[in-house]
Amino acid sequence: MNKLMTAQEAVSSFLRNGDCLAVGGFVTNRRPYALIREIIRQKKLLYVEGGPSGGDIDMLIGAGCVTAISISYIANSGFSMVCRRFRDAVENGNLLFEDFSLDVHTIAYHGAALGLSYVPVKNMLGSDMIAKWGISEEERKKHPKLPAKKYILQEDPFNPGRTLCLVPTPQIDVAVIHAQKASPDGICRIEGPIFQDTDIAIAAKHTIVSCDELVSDEEMRRRPDLNTLTGLCVDAVVHLPYGAHPSQCFGLYDYDARFYIQYEKASRTQEDFDVFLKENVHDCPAHGDYLNKWGAADLLKLRTSEGCAYVPGLKRK
Amino acid sequence: MEWNSKQMMAVALSRQIEDNKTYIIGTGLPLIGATLAKNTHAPHAHLVFESGLFEGNPQEVPTSVSDLRICCGASVLWPQYRYFGFQAVAAGRGGIDAGFLGGAQIDPYGNLNATSIGDYYKPETRFTGSGGANGIASYCDTIIIMKHEKRRFVDKIDYVTSPGWIDGPKGRERIGLLPDKGPRAVVTELGILRFGEDKRMYLAEYYPGVTPARVAENTGFDLDVSRAVEAEPPSPETLAVLSEKVDPMRLMT
Repeated sequence: MNKLMTAQEAVSSFLRNGDCLAVGGFVTNRRPYALIREIIRQKKLLYVEGGPSGGDIDMLIGAGCVTAISISYIANSGFSMVCRRFRDAVENGNLLFEDFSLDVHTIAYHGAALGLSYVPVKNMLGSDMIAKWGISEEERKKHPKLPAKKYILQEDPFNPGRTLCLVPTPQIDVAVIHAQKASPDGICRIEGPIFQDTDIAIAAKHTIVSCDELVSDEEMRRRPDLNTLTGLCVDAVVHLPYGAHPSQCFGLYDYDARFYIQYEKASRTQEDFDVFLKENVHDCPAHGDYLNKWGAADLLKLRTSEGCAYVPGLKRK
Repeated sequence: MEWNSKQMMAVALSRQIEDNKTYIIGTGLPLIGATLAKNTHAPHAHLVFESGLFEGNPQEVPTSVSDLRICCGASVLWPQYRYFGFQAVAAGRGGIDAGFLGGAQIDPYGNLNATSIGDYYKPETRFTGSGGANGIASYCDTIIIMKHEKRRFVDKIDYVTSPGWIDGPKGRERIGLLPDKGPRAVVTELGILRFGEDKRMYLAEYYPGVTPARVAENTGFDLDVSRAVEAEPPSPETLAVLSEKVDPMRLMT
């Protein structure tokens, strides 16, 4: 089956207002930025499973696309130690948020990918992630997408006297991830660190994949040992070279410090952020417009070479 | 030989690392300290990162635990759930010596706030939140890195992101955490603090040029400084490795 689509088609076909979205990658590594920009252009309103969030989620928040976020971390580490639109939204009481530890997010996503309804963990005991709920039970009743409770504490039935924290696994509607390679049938090959991409893709009702390189199904099936996802877990494939820019993509390109430095400044106020969003998202409806904005010559400087996953001596200040 | 307080901190952090043992490292100064240890007294220390990148030997300073600069010489690039499974299981069998954590506020029992200052629901300042810190603090001994300021060392922190010794020797057991794991040391730009039998923080070492009185003045709770000794200054050899090899671009020190 040919699942090739444009970003516009993929997002409008599979992502609905009110859906729960999970995003692949880790902070400044292989985040599916091009798909996120399309979600912003279509102005979806979403529940977000944050995981190790980066500026991509911060842009969704600043663009008014997030009703509630399950958060464990959000930074463009090394550039923005806390993403600023998230910070502003929380400090002004404009965002529903629930704090978890990243461990619990990861384990819950893996549980969701195993078809489990909850995961029992020892994490968070003794912390205010237990004592304080970001979203009350009362408020949760208004949001059917959210579990009725943040967690339940229970005695370990197999080890009496020990406490476990039962955390509901998220009901992910759509996962968006970026892979180095994918085929029209949706087979994906992620090279380098996988983070939690396999889990969110298996757990989600629909998965949209962007890829740097589009290859034939036959070629992907020649080396199944190297593949990450079967097409049975993928609904749409969007061919978007540099689709993870400004984040890193193993074997292909390093992060773009120019973007992160500019974003750190622009995201300090909503006004400057809006200008940044206009220039990078709304004024660049086609992916090529965005790439042209950041410049072919400069993008090529981010290319990594065989045997080294980053650009040695890259300007980062 | 001259040195600045960040360099002294990096050296103090590196001294917490022993050869052949395994440490969970975050980015920033702990990574500099760990890299320094590997290039001096602990060449066989194993560094693991919560992103699932194992035992890397970075040649350039990574900006995050997912920065591909960590991949250099790594043994495996695991999906993240494998890392968290490893952390819980390995810590249980004594396979992890300690994890490094940072925060915005700390109390006398080493409970740590990395979430927010002020009212949780409408904070004066919101930070990133736990990341992997809570899990590290739940399962492992920890070495905590802090800026030594009165407003950060307080009797009561605004939010407990990572549990320390809770409120004393029985605290962890009472709430279901491993009773014998917890904060081991707090490294600041003034000195090194440790935890006594009552699980309260005390000053163990102060850096050359700093006095115990100055440390107490910069601490917002009663601090026992009676056991403190002056820390050994960094050797010229160690400083040379730090500035020439570990952080030549001076990104962190």
